[in-house]
Amino acid sequence: MNGEKQARPRVDRRTTLKWLAATMAAAQAGCAGETPFVGPEIPPAPARGDALLGAAAAPRGAGYGADPDLMHPSVPWSRTLSDGQLQTASALADIMLPADGRSPAASDLGVTDFIDEWVSAPYPDQRRDRETILAGLEWLERESRSRFGASFAAAGESSKKELLDSLAWPVASDADLADGVEFFRRFRYLAVGAYYSTPEGMRDAGYVGNVAINGPYPGPSDEAMAHLEGVLDKLGLELPD
Amino acid sequence: MPSKGQQRYDAVIVGSGAGGGMAAWVLASKGLKVLMLEAGRHYDPKREAPMFAAYADAPLRGEGTPDKPFGFYDAAIGGWQVPGEPYSSAPGSEFMWWRSRMLGGRTNHWARNSFRMGPYDFKPRSRDGLGVDWPIGYEDIAPWYDKTEAIVGVYGSNTGLENHPDSSPGVLHDPPAPRVGELLIQAGAADLGIPCVPARRAVLTRPIGDRNPCLYATSCGRGCPIGAAFQTTTSLLPMALATGNLTIVTDAMVYELRLDRQGRADGVNYVDKASGAHAAAYGRVVVLAASACESARILLNSKSASFPDGAANSSGQVGRNLMDTVGAGMGAQFPVLENRPVYNEDGAMGLHLYIPFWLYKAQARGELDFPRGYHYELGAEGRGQPRLGMGAIAERAGGYGRKLKEDVRRYYGSYLHFTCRGEMIPNADSYCEIDPDASDRWGIPTLRFHFGWSQHERNMVAHFQATTKALIDRLGGNIAYGDVPPGEAISTGGEIIHEVGTTRMGDDARNSVTNQYGQSWDIDNLFIADGGVFASKAHKNPTLTILALAWRSSEYLAAELGRRAL
Repeated sequence: MNGEKQARPRVDRRTTLKWLAATMAAAQAGCAGETPFVGPEIPPAPARGDALLGAAAAPRGAGYGADPDLMHPSVPWSRTLSDGQLQTASALADIMLPADGRSPAASDLGVTDFIDEWVSAPYPDQRRDRETILAGLEWLERESRSRFGASFAAAGESSKKELLDSLAWPVASDADLADGVEFFRRFRYLAVGAYYSTPEGMRDAGYVGNVAINGPYPGPSDEAMAHLEGVLDKLGLELPD
Repeated sequence: MPSKGQQRYDAVIVGSGAGGGMAAWVLASKGLKVLMLEAGRHYDPKREAPMFAAYADAPLRGEGTPDKPFGFYDAAIGGWQVPGEPYSSAPGSEFMWWRSRMLGGRTNHWARNSFRMGPYDFKPRSRDGLGVDWPIGYEDIAPWYDKTEAIVGVYGSNTGLENHPDSSPGVLHDPPAPRVGELLIQAGAADLGIPCVPARRAVLTRPIGDRNPCLYATSCGRGCPIGAAFQTTTSLLPMALATGNLTIVTDAMVYELRLDRQGRADGVNYVDKASGAHAAAYGRVVVLAASACESARILLNSKSASFPDGAANSSGQVGRNLMDTVGAGMGAQFPVLENRPVYNEDGAMGLHLYIPFWLYKAQARGELDFPRGYHYELGAEGRGQPRLGMGAIAERAGGYGRKLKEDVRRYYGSYLHFTCRGEMIPNADSYCEIDPDASDRWGIPTLRFHFGWSQHERNMVAHFQATTKALIDRLGGNIAYGDVPPGEAISTGGEIIHEVGTTRMGDDARNSVTNQYGQSWDIDNLFIADGGVFASKAHKNPTLTILALAWRSSEYLAAELGRRAL
């Protein structure tokens, strides 16, 4: 029906996660007594003071409503991640999307701030992601300190990769890590999507649209048509008249 | 009766979308005094449409939320839920009802796909014994399609294909050049004996008056301030206002007909949403164009001693025969499209090519296990503007780091999407009625929906899936999503936003609500000009037909008023 619609991956977002149980309470510390959401209520966890990354602030602010000003977009809710959570998220985003010869690192394109905006939003999908991501960041920090004696943000690249490889390339025998794998995938989805929708990311990917064209739409370039003809040749197909 | 000093209009029109916009322009152009009541607020795309705005500047990268289901920049004010205006689904049913509450209604953000219904589509029962025939045939509406396409502006080509009628010479605008993904699909489809031809969309590729041709960028769903993509707020409504004969009142929530002692329509009652006050509007004729289900709701809520089951409902058919388009989708990644040369693939921000239904002969021979047709809409803007969904590429790529960035470059532009849009046959399980236990914030009783697909529709989806897999396979693709059982793949009722049939037309007052002109059998100065009058739901997207029927009905209405028959 609508031109803005785009296929979204079907991500299994379990809300009760065994893997997260140990860290959930810490991640949600500070929620008690606050009911600022417009979405369905999630019971506040008891406050705990031992979150390694510091507690996220209680989410505040409603959604943008059914009739926001489209010409002057603004985010009406506050960011909520603690400094420690932001540092860990930045370190994770940057190892997922590091600088290279074509484009900068994720944190330089505002990906960390976008993650904060996303997990602080008052809508049901984002609130499910909040649970997954806050618990996942805390898990990363805990694992890093216990394995390497250093915070995840301060750990060396090889240490970081050692931690991430178990989540990025899961094997069936690591069933205990299923929820961590889900965290990694969800964070990566958001980080990659946020990164490539920036001007720098679009340039890197090779998007050259969103510009007004005077006159008829030119269609594929000669180079693109030559490539397509090669493809069709390989497939044993021909362009119809 | 109007109070002293209050105007009685020639026509009161409820709704400002496709049907209401067309009726207003036709009637106002004939010198009739017209009042239009719109339940939503005033809206002007020239001031409010965020053309070219970056996803990165929108909350949540512009992704859909309960507040804005099709994304932050989508023009629609409304959605699956409207605050204070609930609806319900009966136990065991699920129905999704999209409502726009704004001037121009859903025309402000529709996909602009504009396919003519063909001769078979108006006589489905004669062809396969199911559903009902329309009281008109294709030949009755063909001239109105030509006139409608000329004023709306539709790009496309005449193909001569069976049951896909041509337009008269000179009517259609030139279609935009196909893109690489569409050409690849066209070549693969041809090899399988499947046609793939220029689509028809209500998008200008040459100017009409002060409406400009498409500039091939920025989603039509955001609203089109240059007037290229058709919506009533840049076309029919300004044209009707220019006659000096149209008055528009927004934030006017109509909830019932006013009926006089003879049982004829005297006007409507509405709530002024700004003040909450109730008000009346008076007209010699009332035209309902509030959308199929909202118009049915108004009629069912218009109860009186003479109409205990609601107005215009002596047939008992108001709210019945609810249909939506059959939807399903499948997507795939194509290694042959990896790392391909960069060019601007935005195009007209919608279909350039599509696959029309091609199996009428096989169907007539009894070779298929489903009786009606479907078409394919192709998602071939592989290099469309990156947004949050780019994250899905990482799922295929796996891993992280520099390799992930290389993989994103490699896979971006290598996905194609296939969408099924099929015909639903009306069934006794699918209808809307007044919920006995619920009302909206103004106390107006709300709708309760019943909905169910039949095996006809599930078999059609299975056929679409098998055909799509064959096509993907022929092109060397890897299925990315949609390969699930037909019962799971099929859309939820209402989800395709093509709901029609709830006040159907016919040639027998005993089993239809209106005659062929949308004129109520029971109340001769009441007309219906929205999708409610559809007797069947062809797989072709309904808006063009709503517009053409509304024009035809309005000419008849004006002639009847002229000879004082109403």
